[in-house]
Amino acid sequence: MFAFTVARRYLFSNPAQTALLISGVTLGVMAFVFITALIGGLAIRLTDDVTANSAHISLEPETRIARVLPSPDAELESVAIISTFQRRQIRAWNSTVSLLRSIPSVSAISPQISGSAFLVKGESISPVAVTALDPAHIDAISSISTEIISGDASLGADGILIGSRLAENLGLSSGQPVLLRTDRGIDRLLIVRGVFQTGLQSLDERVAYLSIQTARPLFLLPEGITNIEIKLYDPDGAREIATFLHEATGLRATSWQEKNASLEGALVAQSQTGTLIQAFSLISVLIGIASALSLSANRRRGEIGIMRAFGVSSSFIAAVFVVQGLLIGMVGAGLGCVSGFTLCSWLETLTKPDGTMVLPIAPREGGYIAVFVLTTIGAVLASVIPAGTAARLDPLEAIQQ
Amino acid sequence: MSALLDARRIGMTFRNGDELTEVLKGVDLTLEPGELAALLGASGSGKSTLLSIVGLLLKPTAGTITIGGERVDGLSDVKRAEFRNQRLGFIFQFHHLLPDFTATENVAFPAAAPAGGISPVMRRRARDLLARVGLADRLDFPATRLSGGQKQRVAIARALMNKPELILADEPTGSLDRVAAEQVLDLMREVNREDKATFLICTHDEHVAARCTRRITLKDGSVETV
Repeated sequence: MFAFTVARRYLFSNPAQTALLISGVTLGVMAFVFITALIGGLAIRLTDDVTANSAHISLEPETRIARVLPSPDAELESVAIISTFQRRQIRAWNSTVSLLRSIPSVSAISPQISGSAFLVKGESISPVAVTALDPAHIDAISSISTEIISGDASLGADGILIGSRLAENLGLSSGQPVLLRTDRGIDRLLIVRGVFQTGLQSLDERVAYLSIQTARPLFLLPEGITNIEIKLYDPDGAREIATFLHEATGLRATSWQEKNASLEGALVAQSQTGTLIQAFSLISVLIGIASALSLSANRRRGEIGIMRAFGVSSSFIAAVFVVQGLLIGMVGAGLGCVSGFTLCSWLETLTKPDGTMVLPIAPREGGYIAVFVLTTIGAVLASVIPAGTAARLDPLEAIQQ
Repeated sequence: MSALLDARRIGMTFRNGDELTEVLKGVDLTLEPGELAALLGASGSGKSTLLSIVGLLLKPTAGTITIGGERVDGLSDVKRAEFRNQRLGFIFQFHHLLPDFTATENVAFPAAAPAGGISPVMRRRARDLLARVGLADRLDFPATRLSGGQKQRVAIARALMNKPELILADEPTGSLDRVAAEQVLDLMREVNREDKATFLICTHDEHVAARCTRRITLKDGSVETV
């Protein structure tokens, strides 16, 4: 393609100007990659923070709602009142667990009994949210055993694990007895087997773990359970799988996104802001290309005029400028992707004294293919105006000038 | 012998706002194959306009043009460009060489652009033409490193690249010193004599006209003497 040869010659005829132009594109693409990697990394970190110690999907019985009953007498209405003392439970939880085990995207399952209780130690009393689970799979949802700072995670038949803030409030330490009084009015003396510290106040101050067998008589659930917590390999798929599980089991299935709607809104807003910044950096790159090629077309009016005079087609002239845009876009985008990845990879290695990253950047999330394709297409589009101007040039007018 | 160029009743009127300027008033011009004709006239007489019309760079407001037996005044822009490329050659006062290309590439360009590249045959012909215009030792020189006279000789070689039937030259020696101008005139005469190429040279220089075989004088938009 001879237009390619001419375009390449034009670009090499002024190496400094071409280098400057490509540098501009490279910087714009670098900015795009950096913003994309930063926003992607931030989203990953926030998602990880939220989902690391909680389930991606929770299965529970549907909430019982008082229903208005129809009456033959229009002036009277009656309401079906459902006992709130009767605990909601999943009776056929074994079959639900079997179903969950057949789903490849499910990474962990934890049948649980959750309930409210008080911990009583002498004069001190503190409300707790009790989570009773299978001691053999204690870390299925949260990494409890790795957070133990005193004692160990072996629950046994009469053991309880409590958070560090709760232990402090009640003056407890591992090995000491404590009275658990459930919302069913049943008391039992348990031994604090371990104290954990997650760093999350809500867990460290309000949560206690028991063995599911220990919890059954305390919450009057000899067979059933209250909820099933599920972890997935890909947290982003939680919403779709929750919908499927609701339809398959009739249970209420709540995804982590639904539980954290405000977080999801923040992530969407963050992503939209990022898109705006990305769009502006691309637009500035494209304006730079368009203006540089317009200047080139104007500077070469005489040459273009003589080409047109000896019969070179206007499409050939246009192709010369479009190819220049294509080359600038491709080279600039390629260099921008490489340097953007290098920059992000370096930033990823920077850590604070406590070992956490200075910037929550994810180099793999840089959107390299998207920015390469967008910049290349954009550069071609940006060259269309100068190409059209050059192609429409009146040869006589250009030569006489 | 049928005429190579047959322009009849060529009229050209330019509009500038409400003002109309009639530059050519029914000009008749005929050239036989192998002629070396000078188109003379004072500044503003319309000679450059007539040359541009004959070269299909400008559409006349009246008249017909036949070149090589083909009516060309009604051709579309694309067809006019094709015709210029295949059957006409141009030499301008300023060479307008492509500065990023060598002498050989500049000469080959009119053939290379439509073909999609410079073939070995094109390259050989371009080199032969450059040798013929006395630039055998400048074949691969960048255009920017040639003198004014050398550049104009490259422009002549370029005009000959596609073996045109008619070569149109607009003040071809206007930007050259006396020695270079003589060389260029000698070269055009040689090409005319040996290749039987037909030249229409627009000039206001009597010395250039004296080297041609025919004089056509324009005055106030009409042919005064043939």
